[in-house]
Amino acid sequence: MKKIRVVMIAVLAFTQLTGCGAAGGNAQQAESSQATGTAAGSSVFDGELEENVTIYVLENDTAISKGYFDELIEAFNEAYAEYGITAVDANMDQYLDLANDGPYGYGPDVLYQANDVIMQYAEDKHIYPLPAEQLECYELIDESAWDAYRIEVDGSEYICGVPVNVQAPMLYYRADLLPEDWESAWDENGNQVPDMAESWNAMYAWSLQRHEEDSTKYGYMKSLYDTYFSSGFLFSYGAYVFGENNTDPSHIGLAAGEAEKGAWVLSQLASAMSEECIDDTITANAYSKLADGTYFATISTPDVYSTFFDELVMAYEGEGMSEEEAKAAAEENLVMTTLPMLPESGDLTEENPTLIESKTMGGINGYAVSAYTEYPNDCLAFIEFATSYEMVVKRSEMLGIAPARQDAAETAGGTSELLYQSLADGNIVLMPSIKEVAQLWTPAETFFTDVAKDVFRSESERKYKDLEDFRAGLENMVQQIHDAIFTLQ
Amino acid sequence: MKKKKGFWHGMDVCVTYVLLFAVAFVFFFPCLWLILASFSKSGSIYSFDGFFPTEYSLASFRRLFTDTALYDYPQWFFNTLFVAAGSCVIGSFLVILTAYTMSRFEFKARKPLMKGTMVLGMFPSFMGMIAVYLLMTQFNMINSLWGLILIYSAGAPLQYLTQKGFFDTIPKAINEAARIDGATSFQIFTKINLPLSKPIIVYTALTSFTWPWSDFILPKLLLKKRELYTVAVGLMALDETEFARFAAGSVFIAVPIVILYFVLVKNMVNGMAQGAVKG
Repeated sequence: MKKIRVVMIAVLAFTQLTGCGAAGGNAQQAESSQATGTAAGSSVFDGELEENVTIYVLENDTAISKGYFDELIEAFNEAYAEYGITAVDANMDQYLDLANDGPYGYGPDVLYQANDVIMQYAEDKHIYPLPAEQLECYELIDESAWDAYRIEVDGSEYICGVPVNVQAPMLYYRADLLPEDWESAWDENGNQVPDMAESWNAMYAWSLQRHEEDSTKYGYMKSLYDTYFSSGFLFSYGAYVFGENNTDPSHIGLAAGEAEKGAWVLSQLASAMSEECIDDTITANAYSKLADGTYFATISTPDVYSTFFDELVMAYEGEGMSEEEAKAAAEENLVMTTLPMLPESGDLTEENPTLIESKTMGGINGYAVSAYTEYPNDCLAFIEFATSYEMVVKRSEMLGIAPARQDAAETAGGTSELLYQSLADGNIVLMPSIKEVAQLWTPAETFFTDVAKDVFRSESERKYKDLEDFRAGLENMVQQIHDAIFTLQ
Repeated sequence: MKKKKGFWHGMDVCVTYVLLFAVAFVFFFPCLWLILASFSKSGSIYSFDGFFPTEYSLASFRRLFTDTALYDYPQWFFNTLFVAAGSCVIGSFLVILTAYTMSRFEFKARKPLMKGTMVLGMFPSFMGMIAVYLLMTQFNMINSLWGLILIYSAGAPLQYLTQKGFFDTIPKAINEAARIDGATSFQIFTKINLPLSKPIIVYTALTSFTWPWSDFILPKLLLKKRELYTVAVGLMALDETEFARFAAGSVFIAVPIVILYFVLVKNMVNGMAQGAVKG
């Protein structure tokens, strides 16, 4: 019996000792990092590179699959070979869980994520505040992009991420599906850009006409429940998410200004779609339906351009074109551009309307440094390298992203420049970076779903008959978001 | 009277077959749909004509094994095979030993142990996930396929009751006769009981293999690196536009388990039949 006890004690002691291994060490280090992280600002960034180490970088899937990430780490490793610093792929799911995995040493050192994700980590001190002003790109990135990564703690402001690219909804349409007479009948200002791409009124009219000519075809199609895409219609008429520059959750502005006109626009657009606009069917099938010509246009983010492109190439090949011909045709016919303008009145049937700019909800993707890294200076060096002009231009060329750096956006031209301009003009409303934004999605989706569904109800059952009804619906949604924030949190 | 009986018998057979076909259809249709979808040429679920694809090709399977830059299916497949095979060998060994011990040996803590393991086996395995995660971080076994094998194998003996039931059916008189002839406990186990237990060993090996083969929760919890994913975790990590790859991956993962079943089922049935005659 004594022997058994001795063996058991030995086993327990062994397991305890094993528990103090690397993972435990990382956890302790993380705790101390958290303690000093935001309070001491960026004191860990002392400028002295940690030599002969490996840093783990988490990139997004598109950058990896298109080969950009390989080129980036290869170039970085070559540039920092004399210090023995090697950057490698963290090889993790792009939707990581830094809060749970980081403290045990299983998170990446550098991560590339959307601003709302990074800032939620920053609020819980899983991210280091960066000495952003020291970076070469600081002056070249618009202030609004930096704002997405700003956090205030005890009266001091910190920047927790470096903006790389701007994400905002873009209009995708097929130029070869335009009516044959578009240059004479659908280009009122004669600028060689079809009216459908310039005004929602024209897009609505064309959608109705296309569906009338062939009941299996549609014009503009989009899943309207999606808050990320639909909220822009409210913003365009004066709505906003939270007060105090998206930092005050007690002030919810989704019904502010003339937001009801935006809801009305959505309702009118839904009337030219099928019932699939109520759920996420269109979001999922837009790639193939745009390719087979069922849809004329949709909206999505710029990073999925290659998916639309590949589907269209496949569709052309199915029609008998060679691979080269199909690629050339897809390049020519698949157009990605900024959103059309909206009528000031909100009436899509108005002739010769006064047009206003469309605003959209957007995000800024960027790099951040994990608070659990042992090599913060190397991580900063990597970020400096990855956000240099050359690398951002290469990223834009290979992935089709819109750079947050002004000089890179100008070099990229086209859509990238337009997006940068939209950001600078305030037409891209950045997704709030505070935790309370989590309570926004469900009530907003319920409202947008209801607006889309209403079009398909019988006349007597309709809930939204005039602007007053839309306003009441919006106010109800705002109340629900408010209750969710202050009851559940 | 005979006619009436024949009529009811015919009706009975007819209704039974209709019901069997209906149930078989309910279970078979999703499988058929997935198999056909995996051969879809377009690769998009939305290009189907009704339920089924309009054109077929092997492109999805080709991509599954050649386009591995982001989704390394062959590596995931190997990882799954490694974990399932490892768990199968170690787990089966432990289950058989546990069941044999509980069936053949009388010792003081036998009853409390049996009750304890039965109660513990009733708790769903995911209840202990947080504890498992914390323990594995302390043992430095996150991102380790051996960590998975350890947990699957260590948990397997809790499910020993079926195997114990089988050992209980082998007459103890055989063991006693062997012992009189001078055989040791180890010899009795290896030379007498194991050869008689072929069907239950095959059953145990199959179940020990299939659980890790298709499990999602534990690998998702413990494997953070993409290169270490099992197929279940890898398929879940696919982008929403990768339906064709998902369908092909789901179909292909079923192949080894089907082969294994057809290879081993003969032993199971033969063994069971032999057991029946002996009994």
